[in-house]
Amino acid sequence: METDQCTLYYKSKTVNSALSRTEWIQLKEVLSFHDWKLVTLALPKSCHLSSHQITVSSSHICRLYDRFHALDKDDKGSLNRSDFQNISELAVNPLGDRIINAFFPDGMDLIDFNSFVRILARFRPVDQNPKKEPNAPEPINSRVNKLKFAFQLYDQDKDGKISKSELLQVLRMMVGVQVTEEQLESITDRTIQEADLDGDDAISFEEFKKSLDKVDIEHKMSIRFLR
Amino acid sequence: MPVRDFLSTSSKLSPFQPRYEHLLLLVCVLGTVLPLGVDCNPSAENHQINGTQKKSFPVLSFDYLHVRLPFEIALWILLASLMKLGFHLIPRLSNIVPESCLLIVVGLLVGGLIKVVGEAPPVLDSKVFFLCLLPPIILDAGYFLPIRAFSENTGTILMFAVIGTLWNSFFMGGMLYAVCQIPGTGLENVGLLPSLLFGSIISAVDPVAVLAVFEEIHINELLHILVFGESLLNDAVTVVLYHLFEEYAGVGSVTFMDVLLGVICFLVVSLGGVFMGILYGLIAAFTSRFTSHTRVIEPLFVFLYSYMAYLSAEVFHLSGIMALIACGVVMRPYVEANISQKSHTTIKYFLKMWSSVSETLIFIFLGVSTVAGPHQWNWIFVGCTLLFCLVSRVLGVIGLTSIINKFRIVKLTTKDQFIIAYGGLRGAIAFSLGFLLDKHHFPMRDMFLTAIITVIFFTVFVQGMTIRPLVELLAVKKKQETKRSINEEIHTQFLDHLLTGIEDVCGHYGHHHWKDKLSRFNKKYIKKCLIAGERSKEPQLIAFYHKMEMKQAIELVESGGIPKIPSAVSTVSMQNIKPKRALPQLSKGKEEEIRNILRSNLQRTRQRLRSYNRHTLMADPYEDAWNQMLIRRQKARQLEKRMTNYLTVPANHPDSPTMMRSRLSSDPQGYSLKLNSGNVPAIVVDPATPQSPESMKLLDESSKPGEEDQGIVMRAKLPESSRTDDNVFTPGEDSPKEQRLIRCLSDPGPPPEEEKDDEYQAFLN
Repeated sequence: METDQCTLYYKSKTVNSALSRTEWIQLKEVLSFHDWKLVTLALPKSCHLSSHQITVSSSHICRLYDRFHALDKDDKGSLNRSDFQNISELAVNPLGDRIINAFFPDGMDLIDFNSFVRILARFRPVDQNPKKEPNAPEPINSRVNKLKFAFQLYDQDKDGKISKSELLQVLRMMVGVQVTEEQLESITDRTIQEADLDGDDAISFEEFKKSLDKVDIEHKMSIRFLR
Repeated sequence: MPVRDFLSTSSKLSPFQPRYEHLLLLVCVLGTVLPLGVDCNPSAENHQINGTQKKSFPVLSFDYLHVRLPFEIALWILLASLMKLGFHLIPRLSNIVPESCLLIVVGLLVGGLIKVVGEAPPVLDSKVFFLCLLPPIILDAGYFLPIRAFSENTGTILMFAVIGTLWNSFFMGGMLYAVCQIPGTGLENVGLLPSLLFGSIISAVDPVAVLAVFEEIHINELLHILVFGESLLNDAVTVVLYHLFEEYAGVGSVTFMDVLLGVICFLVVSLGGVFMGILYGLIAAFTSRFTSHTRVIEPLFVFLYSYMAYLSAEVFHLSGIMALIACGVVMRPYVEANISQKSHTTIKYFLKMWSSVSETLIFIFLGVSTVAGPHQWNWIFVGCTLLFCLVSRVLGVIGLTSIINKFRIVKLTTKDQFIIAYGGLRGAIAFSLGFLLDKHHFPMRDMFLTAIITVIFFTVFVQGMTIRPLVELLAVKKKQETKRSINEEIHTQFLDHLLTGIEDVCGHYGHHHWKDKLSRFNKKYIKKCLIAGERSKEPQLIAFYHKMEMKQAIELVESGGIPKIPSAVSTVSMQNIKPKRALPQLSKGKEEEIRNILRSNLQRTRQRLRSYNRHTLMADPYEDAWNQMLIRRQKARQLEKRMTNYLTVPANHPDSPTMMRSRLSSDPQGYSLKLNSGNVPAIVVDPATPQSPESMKLLDESSKPGEEDQGIVMRAKLPESSRTDDNVFTPGEDSPKEQRLIRCLSDPGPPPEEEKDDEYQAFLN
């Protein structure tokens, strides 16, 4: 039954159209996790699955699905933290733990494929000529949202500001053990002093955004793989 | 020489020491005797020795042939430099016309002048050009190449350099051949291969011209690196094509095998050149590890190794330019970590000076060669060349960009494409290559040269002059002038790590992944070999921070420092925060202490800057020791108090003996205890009393290789004891902020060593 409904939806679409939000939700309800592969393979390459503000092309969904499956060693249908920790390169990455935590928002322990894609979709390259509909919500891979993601990695206690101790922690992780505490503190002080505009001795999101004005975030925080 | 003999004989007559009046008298005598004794014969002395005919003794002779070559070279360089001076004195002119145009015009004038005089003007000799004039410019470009921008755009640059140049050459060659075949133009003797050869010569974008023009328009980094990178990397293609066509133009045909060999040759030439450069770069980096005792010749190693890389590549007909670039790029991070600040400045300024002089000379000689060279003007050929140059460039850029944009994250816009196409300037390399052609194989060489010169003139004058208004008109993004802030540095590194992590999660081996792998490999193995001492473990962020602090400290010194202390504290946030905001954080007393500390710091830095001399005087140990004992008594108590604060600080690596000595040598207390260490003591000259903060010290630079010459190293340390000069009178509280300021803004001081503790404890007891 489920496969029939799926093909029904598929047949009613023309080649280059996108599924609207309601259709997407209905499709999701219908499909179980394992049928996903069938759907994505069946869709023509140029058809985009759009949900909310996420737009990831179907070929990439396929690859991400494969990757998801490869990470999910026990074949549970979702990933937990230990699956991420099995990635060897993440273990040597100074920010490895924080990145893993970013995939598990709100204290959940398992994520499904949707959330996986949702988080990775932020790193899509920015569309050069966005079709700006008025009142359209900002796409998830816009510059602001990319910066928000990075900001969240700094701001562990989620108070909307990067405090001195949070910055110190990050610096310590990046720099290693040879540097003494005083040096790091002076760097931290200097950094906050430079960026802090309203004098609260912490970096808010606006200040963070401003200090990265000159950096080409669209280029830096994009992975070609996810175009 | 005869003049000198005369002087020596006259001084023998007056046995006492010559004084100024005597010399003046001598000069007057000479002046009157001169008309009698002027002799133009260089070999007059020999004749006199033979003694067949006694002529009057030559008081003054003229022997120009003897010094002719160096004299003329020096005169040309002087002329070039004076011209450069002159242009910048006329601001309106230098705003409208780029320097390169003016220099060519000067060259034309000078060439014309020489021709009018009747002599043959010198032509730009290809050997001189390739071996002497070109390397400094390329080394300057390679050493200061912005690595980040270059590596992010490598694919694009290679596409433009290789495919673009190939397209240009074949299009130009083919179209010109087609035009030459049209009956009635008088050009039927231009075969296919000579046309292709000509195409390959004229199609290469010239780094000298691009640098000269783009430097002045301050365009954004992306476009600059694209055009400039292309001009550098197309050298390999040009070399291969040139040799290929030149070889076979005599034979008259090229087989498929030759083309295949050409492709292999291209790979060998480019990769071989790069490999040669990397090899020399690594050797240079390794050598610089051991130069801590001979700082004076450090820059020489950089220059020599790079030049050797270039020459070695030229021996094998590999791409010398790519070797030079690779050498500079590989060498730089390690050499900069090893050499002193002064050597770094020396290298920077020497490179800029040489490249500037070279560039000036090249353009002047281009002008002179235009006047000198044999010309054969053919309207059709020259006109078609010009036309096809422009057309092929535009087509090439558009075509390549449409392919490249599929792979780029940040696409190239139409504006970018226009600038890239417009910035394809030709220059002296094309002329020199044309000049190298053999007249026997290529009877139409003169025509080629004329066409090349015309294209060069057109691109440099027309395109060079109009690119600036066009850039303004099209509102192309300009270069950002501001320095990188510490925020940007930290966040950029953060994002690098983040993106590497995300790429690993995706399982995608992208740009960040390989960059991360490379930097890890670099840190683990290479840095340990090539960087001396502790700097090898210094994280990049800390190095950046030190550099920034150092720059700030120097600025503070240069600006006179003291009245600006509040802004110094918050100098980075000067744009955001009003200066007086910093003050409420400090109480009056603390502010005063900070002022004193900073003042003494600045003084010490100033003293250090002033006291660099190679000649030092031996000190009188007894006089010094007495003064120092007096000082030491007063300071011992201060030191003891401070020691307790710092026992919690993690200990540093024990210094090498030289470094310990160097630290203590600037500290008047520790100095006398080390008298028998055999170190050359420094003289301490006190115009004021020893305790006054105004006392100057002449420091023996060679005996303190560690302190400032170790590059910029920050460690947890005691504040320098010499600073306690001030604290003798105003005992400061050891507030953490104060100590932090000291650490931030000063040179490193002596570390809290147990050895020193013991000495003082022993002294106190």
